[in-house]
Amino acid sequence: MDTKQTALHSERPIRAGKKKFRFSVSKALVLFFLLFYTVFLFFPLYIVFITSVTSTFEITGNTQFIWWPKNFTFAPYGQVFSMDPNAITTGVPSLLLGFINTMWMTLLPLVVGLMVSGLSAYAYSKLQFPGREGLFRIAFIISIVPLGAFGVIGYMYYYTLGWVGTPLPIIVPGMFGGMGTVFFLKMYYEGIPDSLVEAARIDGMGKVGIFFKIIFPLSLPAFTAQFIFGFVGGYNNYLGPLLYLQGDPMSITLQLVLSDVTNIFRGDGMENIHCAAAILGMLPLIIIYCFSQKYFIEGIAVGGVKG
Amino acid sequence: MKMQAAQGAAAKKEGANETFAPSQRAPSLKKKKKWTLSSVTSLLLALIPLIGFVLFNGFTLVVSFLVMFCDVDLYDLGSGFDWNNFAGFKAVFIDGWANKQFALDISKYFYRACGITVWVASTQFVTLAIALAISVLLATKPFGGRVFQILFFIPYICSSVAVSIMWKWIFSSDEAGVLNTILGKTVLWTSDPKTMTWTIVVAIIWQAPGYGIVMYKAALANIDREQYEAAALDGAVGFRKFWYITVPGIAPTTFYLLLAGVNSGLLTYDIAALMIPSGWGSDVGGSENMGLTLMRLVYYLIGDDVSQLNASILSSASVISWVLFAVTATVAIILFRRRQKSMEG
Repeated sequence: MDTKQTALHSERPIRAGKKKFRFSVSKALVLFFLLFYTVFLFFPLYIVFITSVTSTFEITGNTQFIWWPKNFTFAPYGQVFSMDPNAITTGVPSLLLGFINTMWMTLLPLVVGLMVSGLSAYAYSKLQFPGREGLFRIAFIISIVPLGAFGVIGYMYYYTLGWVGTPLPIIVPGMFGGMGTVFFLKMYYEGIPDSLVEAARIDGMGKVGIFFKIIFPLSLPAFTAQFIFGFVGGYNNYLGPLLYLQGDPMSITLQLVLSDVTNIFRGDGMENIHCAAAILGMLPLIIIYCFSQKYFIEGIAVGGVKG
Repeated sequence: MKMQAAQGAAAKKEGANETFAPSQRAPSLKKKKKWTLSSVTSLLLALIPLIGFVLFNGFTLVVSFLVMFCDVDLYDLGSGFDWNNFAGFKAVFIDGWANKQFALDISKYFYRACGITVWVASTQFVTLAIALAISVLLATKPFGGRVFQILFFIPYICSSVAVSIMWKWIFSSDEAGVLNTILGKTVLWTSDPKTMTWTIVVAIIWQAPGYGIVMYKAALANIDREQYEAAALDGAVGFRKFWYITVPGIAPTTFYLLLAGVNSGLLTYDIAALMIPSGWGSDVGGSENMGLTLMRLVYYLIGDDVSQLNASILSSASVISWVLFAVTATVAIILFRRRQKSMEG
């Protein structure tokens, strides 16, 4: 379809000025397919939304799925918090507690790790020390090797450290930064001229000062991209908390709460509460996405080409 | 802290503490760098991520490597590693061996999980095809194209937990389940071994293309428009232009998306475990193990009650992890090699 349009361009002189809307079969077909795909993508989201605004009474009274409730109710969104039996023991509704835990367990390692990676990439890119190239080669090879396969078996090691049942396995490794991030940021730093760094050094600026006053502000888009994907990954992380945080009701995370929602709210016709919880859990990320989708999309395009 | 490791090295201007040591040897082209306070702090800054890697990933690798060959106590790895004469390997690869030795048919689970994992990973081809088709449609700059682009990425940022809640409700075995209402039947989608793997596949296909759409869109925008115009002059139209210009133009992106996607598919845990809970007894990962991926199998084997059955079970879990690692690392190396080549060429 892309090709068809270029063909049109090359065969006719390009009309300057206003574009005239012309109906064509191919355009209508394109639109039809895109709308069809949109319906496919938003069908499940519609399902959870519509269920979340249907009353329990209506759900239990029907043997069929309710496509459009007779009475809309937003009560399930309150019941997620008010009917939570766990709130009695922990003092905070699970969803809220999970959200708070997820936020700090994501942001702390993410921010610290990004700064560490940023400084490390700065050292590899703009500072001098013996063995720099060799060390970077080792680091680079490490960043290519995928270690996801050890995600579960790593449990043995953390068990020995005595970290199982605490948030440490989720927080501490991330605070050391990541080789992939270092590599990505170093590529970005290469665009910052060395003369700029040299000039700042001659003006008497220290190493750390140069990083925070020159390198960091100039690489803000790269940091933003890394931050966004780190945040989405941390917010949606399920396996980590599942392995290490079970058993302690106070350190439950948002995804653990959501995965347990059918156990927390038991009974007939509770699907509306389950769906309301799912929507409340997704909402923060979707709102962030809507306001900063430019960074999401640019981040992927930039990150993908590199690595 | 001043290390004089490289004595007599040619002096290198180094930050605040510039040292001007006269070079004792004939000046060589290869400048040697000197250990100074400044260079040591630089080295430390550079080293932190590597230290983290060694402390966490490195030790995990070493421990799981040793455990492949040794019996250990999960609760106290320090109590010793006892050589177990390849019990972990036998349990995983020899049919029925583990069943006889410790009444847990690991090899049966392993072969089944391999099949399911490959099945799940191969959906990447469908995901890619969808991503390519949608991005080609978006590249025609249709009415509202930007809005579509924004909407299509939303599933990708939904957590697998939320995705599983949605699809479990759609595939609910209840007669009020969405799909059962549409079909007017009562199918046990997520508990029937014939359909359960498909429910995982559908959820993955729903979620995954967003990433590919964005990547392909960038790749399509990078194709030189003049190529199309030249092809048009040569009389190429429609599909031929797509095949001879677009497809080669986006080949590197396709290669990357395919291999990266296959790798993440091989490591599927979340969505499978959330969609299809484990059944009782031998129904690990769903009835007839039809929802059991390799990562789920490892998770099952390290579980407190299972790993206590026999000291060699952790060996099997390590063996499976290393098998997965070998496969995903091979894929990653192929990807890297290919990219190196395309960068040189």
